[in-house]
Amino acid sequence: MRRLSRSIWHGLFIIAAISSAAVLTLISLRNFHREMLPPENRPIQSGTGNYVTSNACRACHPGNYASWHTSFHRTMTQVATAATLFGAAEEREFSFDGRQYKMEQQGDKFFVRMRSLGGDYGPGKQVVLVTGSHTLQIPWLETGEGRTLEQFPFAYIIAEKMWAPVNETFLTPPDLKEYYSIGAWNGACMDCHVTQGQSRFVAGNKWDSRVAELGIACEACHSEGNQHIALNRNPVRRFKIHLTTKSDASITNPARLTGPVSGLDCGQCHSVWAFNNMTDKIDFNRQGTNFRPGHNDLGQRFVVQPNAPDHSEQKDSIRKTEPDFFTNRFWGDGMIRVTGREFNGLQASPCFRGGNFSCISCHEMHPKQTQQVSLTKWARTGQLRPEMDSDQACLQCHKAIGPNIAAHTHHEAASSGSRCYNCHMPHNTFGLLHAMRGHQVSWPTVQESVAYGRPNACNLCHLNQTLAWTAEKLHAWYNQPVPQLSQDDQTIAAAVQWIVKGDAGQRALIAWGMAWEPAQKIAGRDWFYPYLIYSMTDPYAAVRFDAWKSLQTLPGFSDFAFTYTSDDHSLRETAARAFEKWLREVRPPNAIFQPQSALDSDGHFQQDVFQRLRSERDNKRILLAE
Amino acid sequence: MNNLDRNLRFGWWSLLIFLSLGGGLEILHGFKIGWYVDVGNDMRRLMFTLAHAHGTALALVNIAAGLTARNIKGFPPRPSVSLSLIWAGILFPVGFFLGGIVTYGGDPGLGIWLVPIAALLLFYCVARIAFDLSKLN
Repeated sequence: MRRLSRSIWHGLFIIAAISSAAVLTLISLRNFHREMLPPENRPIQSGTGNYVTSNACRACHPGNYASWHTSFHRTMTQVATAATLFGAAEEREFSFDGRQYKMEQQGDKFFVRMRSLGGDYGPGKQVVLVTGSHTLQIPWLETGEGRTLEQFPFAYIIAEKMWAPVNETFLTPPDLKEYYSIGAWNGACMDCHVTQGQSRFVAGNKWDSRVAELGIACEACHSEGNQHIALNRNPVRRFKIHLTTKSDASITNPARLTGPVSGLDCGQCHSVWAFNNMTDKIDFNRQGTNFRPGHNDLGQRFVVQPNAPDHSEQKDSIRKTEPDFFTNRFWGDGMIRVTGREFNGLQASPCFRGGNFSCISCHEMHPKQTQQVSLTKWARTGQLRPEMDSDQACLQCHKAIGPNIAAHTHHEAASSGSRCYNCHMPHNTFGLLHAMRGHQVSWPTVQESVAYGRPNACNLCHLNQTLAWTAEKLHAWYNQPVPQLSQDDQTIAAAVQWIVKGDAGQRALIAWGMAWEPAQKIAGRDWFYPYLIYSMTDPYAAVRFDAWKSLQTLPGFSDFAFTYTSDDHSLRETAARAFEKWLREVRPPNAIFQPQSALDSDGHFQQDVFQRLRSERDNKRILLAE
Repeated sequence: MNNLDRNLRFGWWSLLIFLSLGGGLEILHGFKIGWYVDVGNDMRRLMFTLAHAHGTALALVNIAAGLTARNIKGFPPRPSVSLSLIWAGILFPVGFFLGGIVTYGGDPGLGIWLVPIAALLLFYCVARIAFDLSKLN
């Protein structure tokens, strides 16, 4: 037999190598398809309508993609993995409400097993999704009922690196044990925590939920991108736009909309909204929202403003079916009192009537600077435009006030009392365990505190002053009428009244407010200790948490340990220990306690006053529905 | 001396320029100049990288063409081939470079339209050289 030449051997070798590579490619393709099958135990991303997902936007808008990718909008809802689930390393065993839970990791997946006290652990349920990545993160478990989810009873408080029962991470009544029931994520949470969610109710408590994209992605604010992408495959069209109008009608740009329409883009989620009727609710559930950025209204839904004349029939119906709906979300005059619903405040602001004011007057979703460091800072500081954390936010329109700001504020120009935000957007909303600036631009009045219980901006800084003191100043400076005030309003600091006899929402605002630096500087902080220590035994967990965190900002208590979710006995014991520590180790010998603080000269409560205020505490059930 | 000798000269000068440009890009990286390295300036970075890479590669192609003409007896150097190769060596990197100066998100600037012209010239001269060399056999 003739020997094969060297070149034939070379040829055979090359053919064999190419064939092997082709076979390996085909095998990996098969595995790839198997891995790509959508999971059946959680909501999935599926081709919805004309949505194309953020992946399709990246190539043409790398800078905008980068800012969005850094934002907490992107990570609002994520598939649970070792990279996205916080706190799995800190703790793996939990107890709550007579049950024990154990979290176990298998590869990149996490499972939770549960048992009643003394019983055996049941089978593991996979942690499939996580919601939140900024302040709080809640893991969601598979249920075995299709794509229906149930809440893991614990949430991870990111700043504290600690787990706490979910019901104790919101301002909820102490007797409320389950905050989210089975299916609540599918039926409610996903309305705003994903892009174009479709709950898709099946039967019983079974859901087949799908989304255009997990998290809040490009198309939530810019509308569906399919047509935009198809049209812009044509480079001539793109360059025509680049060189002429710089505006593309095939996609919505909120920056080019009028104030109210642009605001509604954010307001589709950042508002208290309700369905127009049951038909619209069913349609929303099945098809997802029919609101698209650029629309003048929310379609199947409407923004609920308690005192606005629209949708009166629907609002009456809400009042009948859910009597606490308004009190759990609004102050008595209709101002929003929960965080996350900023559009309600914006819409009710006088600035809004001008037609240009919107969320992006102060915030921006895509900063020009795209270095990772500046993007991270931007994401963590309210996604504000440059200088919008200063008076410039207001002075960009109210230019006349700028040159002589002290004449307007009656405070030193450089002081915190001359900062626009502090008087016109005080911290009067609460959610996720902290107070936040209200987004209804307003003027401080004593009347708002007397009539609706809302802490006014003056007394949120001057915590040590009475309402009568504030009324006198506002009358002298702005000719505001002095309202009828009680004896307590004339002699006891407003903050003392709110933290002792206020409702849970008021108490939480003041407990948080005692850590606010301008208030600590103005009001003196020696007298904060007894009230914060007392508030660590408050029936509401959120108040206890903020009292503890505020106490940690005071000298001598920076590392004071406190489990705010403990039982009553432990809470009282820790509070007693804290009070002893303050009396013996921290209290300055020359500390002076002003009479309006309702403390004796040695820092103890004036028992008659304190007990009376405590007996007058507003114990109505509060659930601040953030 | 044949027509392709000028390609040798052009090639070496071009190589010097684009190696220097590579140094310039390293400096932009080294000092983390946002105009070049920020995520939002991806397109500029890509364009400048392509300008550097194509300028260097085309310089080497010009040198190779010049050496080929010198070393292969009877290889007829056409003036059009020589010129096309030089113009390709200019238009490719300049097109990419200009395309990176002003960018529109994921789109380069208008200078990028020089690149398809350069590609046609390069295709012509490489094909011409390949055919002419084949005829020699």
